[in-house]
Amino acid sequence: MSATPPQPDLATFTGNRGPRAQNFQWSKIVLPIVVAILFLLAWDAGVRITGSDIFPKPIEVMRGIIQLIQRGLLLKYVVASLYRVTWGFTLAVLVGVPFGLFLGWYGWAFQAFNPMIQMLRPISPIAWIPVAILWFKVTDKAPIFLIFLASVFPITVSATAAVQNMQPVYLRAARNFGLTQFQLFSRVILPATLPQIITGIRIALGVAWLVVVAAEMIAVNSGLGYLIIDARNAGKRYDLVVAGMVMIGLIGLVLDLLVRQLEKFDEVRWGYANR
Amino acid sequence: MSLKRTLLVVAVLWTALITVLHLKLNLHVQFFGPKPKVEATQKFRVGFIPVTCHLTCPVTDFINKNMSGESFFEPIRFNGWPEVKEAYLSGYMPATFLLAPLAMELREQGVPIKIVYLGHRDGTALMVNKDSQIYRLEDLRGKTVAVPNRFSNQRLLIYKALKDRGMSIKDINMVEMPPPDMPVALRQHAVDAITSGEPFMGQTELDGYGRVLYLTKDIWPNFISCVLVVSEDAIKNRRPEVQRLVDGIARSGKWLDQNMDHRMEAAEFVAQNYYNQDPRLLRFVLSKPPDRVKYTNLAPLKKDFEEIEALAVESGIMQGTVHFEDYVDTSFVKDDTAIQPYAWEGKKP
Repeated sequence: MSATPPQPDLATFTGNRGPRAQNFQWSKIVLPIVVAILFLLAWDAGVRITGSDIFPKPIEVMRGIIQLIQRGLLLKYVVASLYRVTWGFTLAVLVGVPFGLFLGWYGWAFQAFNPMIQMLRPISPIAWIPVAILWFKVTDKAPIFLIFLASVFPITVSATAAVQNMQPVYLRAARNFGLTQFQLFSRVILPATLPQIITGIRIALGVAWLVVVAAEMIAVNSGLGYLIIDARNAGKRYDLVVAGMVMIGLIGLVLDLLVRQLEKFDEVRWGYANR
Repeated sequence: MSLKRTLLVVAVLWTALITVLHLKLNLHVQFFGPKPKVEATQKFRVGFIPVTCHLTCPVTDFINKNMSGESFFEPIRFNGWPEVKEAYLSGYMPATFLLAPLAMELREQGVPIKIVYLGHRDGTALMVNKDSQIYRLEDLRGKTVAVPNRFSNQRLLIYKALKDRGMSIKDINMVEMPPPDMPVALRQHAVDAITSGEPFMGQTELDGYGRVLYLTKDIWPNFISCVLVVSEDAIKNRRPEVQRLVDGIARSGKWLDQNMDHRMEAAEFVAQNYYNQDPRLLRFVLSKPPDRVKYTNLAPLKKDFEEIEALAVESGIMQGTVHFEDYVDTSFVKDDTAIQPYAWEGKKP
């Protein structure tokens, strides 16, 4: 792991003195908050100007979220959605990475499977909903399957491309050292392709979280997607619809911040520098 | 730690944590302490949608839970017709509430399904905007009307009503829309008229922008939109359970129609425990007027279904190759008048 970054001193937070580099740290927090506040003000003004009594104001959405917390539903729904995304996504990684490496390494396999993959890839998870219900009934398996489908293709494709784009010089050097097949894979192919695979996984994680609403349209009885669909059933509760959207967005933000922590690893940074 | 090891450790810990939390919070799995007793057989599952057409399903469940401590079946809530139909076809549940023409058409397509009881009678309205110039059915000419599904009886109802007035379905622009989205579509003038089961129609009235063009009871008295269907497999192998379900549905229907107190009580507990809607909405549609929707006289009758069948064939959603005896099993209701309402007076003192 790389060295810990230098801690900003108190002066940067109090706003006096400090070189430009440290001011930048400060603005990283303040600027997004300013943008968020401006967005909320514009939203509020928009609802007031149009006089809509259906689309909720930010404060109403806030009240809706508080109501969900008080009824103990928010934690349950967040956990349910994260559970489905975790399993769907994990299965996609477990299937997609080895399969992608296999396709990248063996030219004949790539020729054989690529057209099928390119055919399945553009099919929206929504189109798979009927099939998911028929195969997995209305259990957690159905949304997990939909999330798996949405994320397995980006992972497979990035792993395939990672092997295909590998510098031939690595392989030639490895052959000169007389590595076995297993050594070649663990010492050369995997390290060389890892940065690009991780980039693919990052993109796929975004996609997996994106399809959670569609995946939970199936009659599961929990989750943030279910919250949105349930609120539509509940009459004029568009505050809860938007509350569901806000929660999905906020968790998406946290996931992105967590994945960004990967950039601290030299192996991944090397990958970015290489692109 | 290296990248690979960190990723592996974080992934395993996270997956374990979120799985345990989900099992605990949403699936209510007990990790410690006494294990809950395992049912010998899977409880009989019954699908429903949060509309008043299916009200007897949660009412039967709730009354049984309160009278005998537990219910003998498991109501499964869905949000739309396609999902209910697919879950039924997948074999997940042996019984469900379904649109009558949809059940008949599934039978025609070879699905082993039987209608055993009705969900309700009436309980549908056609709503227009309060400020619109539509005052008679004839005024719908050239307008856009939203219906829940092409196999809904609401569509057949419009077909019949237009035909009675010398018009045809081609004179209006019909669109399919999930009932929960209808009120807002009417409010925003995305469509000119909407029709589906309650409480989504009553909601537009309650919120002050909808006006009733007609209630079903005014143009097709004793209208049926949803029925209770059971798979032939369940009729053969789980007959006592099907009988108990039909009896329960029949008894709670009579309980609902016994007096207004029962209906108001049902509005509260169904809204809170099953539909997740504002109880005010159910109170409104169950009382204004009281015969907006009815839950008695629910044994399937041949003449009702022949009428639906004829309209379905005429309007092109059925071929007409199956008839009453094929898609209805009347053996579960020997004498509908002999069935007594539940002797339950609610939770109130």
